[in-house]
Amino acid sequence: MKQKVVVIGAGIIGTSVAYFLSKKNVNIVLVDAKDIASGTSGACDKAIMLQSKKWGPALELAIQSATLYKDLEQELQQDLEYRQGGGLILIDNEQDLKVLQQTVEKQNSIGLNVKILTGDEVRKKNPYLSEKIIAASWCEEDAEINPMLTAFAFAKAAHKNKAILRLNCEVLDLVTENNRILGVQTTHGKIYADSVVICSGVWTNQILKTVQLEVPIIPRKGIILVTEKLPKIIDCNILSGSYIVSKLQKEQNSIPYGIGLAISQTKSGTLLIGGSREFVGFDESIKTKIIRDIAKQAIHAFPCLDNIHLIRSFAGFRPYTPDNMPILGEIPSVQGLYIAAGHEGDGVALAPITGKLMSELITNQKIEFDLSPFSIERFLESTIS
Amino acid sequence: MEKTCICRCEGVFLEEILQAIDEGATSFQGIKKRNRIGMGHCQGRTCQPIVRDILRKKVGANSLFELQKAQAPVRPVPLGKL
Ligand SMILES: Cc1cc2nc3c(=O)[nH]c(=O)nc-3n(C[C@H](O)[C@H](O)[C@H](O)COP(=O)(O)OP(=O)(O)OC[C@H]3O[C@@H](n4cnc5c(N)ncnc54)[C@H](O)[C@@H]3O)c2cc1C
Ligand code: FES
Repeated sequence: MKQKVVVIGAGIIGTSVAYFLSKKNVNIVLVDAKDIASGTSGACDKAIMLQSKKWGPALELAIQSATLYKDLEQELQQDLEYRQGGGLILIDNEQDLKVLQQTVEKQNSIGLNVKILTGDEVRKKNPYLSEKIIAASWCEEDAEINPMLTAFAFAKAAHKNKAILRLNCEVLDLVTENNRILGVQTTHGKIYADSVVICSGVWTNQILKTVQLEVPIIPRKGIILVTEKLPKIIDCNILSGSYIVSKLQKEQNSIPYGIGLAISQTKSGTLLIGGSREFVGFDESIKTKIIRDIAKQAIHAFPCLDNIHLIRSFAGFRPYTPDNMPILGEIPSVQGLYIAAGHEGDGVALAPITGKLMSELITNQKIEFDLSPFSIERFLESTIS
Repeated sequence: MEKTCICRCEGVFLEEILQAIDEGATSFQGIKKRNRIGMGHCQGRTCQPIVRDILRKKVGANSLFELQKAQAPVRPVPLGKL
């Protein structure tokens, strides 16, 4: 009999896991309490950025994921608004430049092609940038994708490969017996399975608590502004260096609302301008002060935006973990239960590799990647001892 | 009839709305994520009430809980004048 797998959560992570599983000889049910991309994956930005990633295993994961993205449109036979347009981290003072220079040297040492451009070189790439920008780091490998289109395309492709989709179907409980998973109890009855994968982002603990487990995934709110449609003025990912630098120096808590500029333009022409980082639970309200501060940073980098209209803002919740790395792998205390959650601000970038590795793990294939740094055990140990 | 334009800002037609409901969308947000309805300059002020009527008929009253939330700003404002 074919192995049967239930995937909980149809965000960009769950749909990717379901898609990669659907290429193997497995029966799949993808379940979501609401809809495809109704959670964080429908309220986020679209960067696949390498030069901003944390040093170590997370960067290695991101590099492999970026490679998978290159062929994804062709594989899924759908326009995902993918573009490898590169990425810039803007610098407006000498002090930040020094810190960034050190990072770039480190990045080059592992073969990630990042270089420092002078202010004039940056303005040659983008003439709308302010004179206040004195330098920037540039990485050609940085890319972007429409995360909503991607989640829908993964789900559609999985469905084509015979995966069953259950929307508006909430998982209430995990069904287990003798420390082995038997399936899930949903609002629409029980679904039996050999394996269950939890891909429910910031809502992961609601499911884990039914088997007396808890992980330190908490919502880290981010606000993004959307402008009116404009002719193409930005054709790559742009971040401000000040936030990255304070993150490198582990001082990000000193920045009010964790605001750090991230700006890009969608295919439809709107600008997406982020963002903030706050721990305020699931409070969706949007403070005018934060909108104003983000807009100010955008105008600082691009003075021409002063008269451009803001048409909307939205809030999303990044699934934060204390070491900023996702939790990937089997859950040791319940055989057949897996987790792929906690991708924080990198879930879009890491979706394809997460789906690929999880599908190999669940079907007992050999994995050419050391997943041990991502194991749930790094968080469980402290509660046991 | 299917060729009726419901969202003029984004150019979304009735048939696309019906197709989104067919694909499993049960809320305004769900339809919006499938075809960009309501994402235009007026932010759904024109098209949302029509979609609400379609949803009520096709999906039922439950679908109405998830209407597009009011998101700042109330009307378009220049970034420099916030
Ligand atoms: C403002 C902002 C900007 C960002 N920008 C970027 C970026 O530029 N690049 C990048 O790589 N990442 C970015 N991210 C991060 C990225 O959006 C997330 O890491 C990613 O979307 C997480 O995906 P997910 O599938 O794990 O979670 P989600 O998309 O939240 O999916 C979880 C799903 O599980 C479902 N669910 C929950 N509980 C249950 C249950 N009991 N039963 C059934 N279903 C359930 C939910 O309905 C939901 O659909 C950003 C995030 C934010 C907030
Ligand atoms: S008519 Fe739909 S957004 Fe304006």
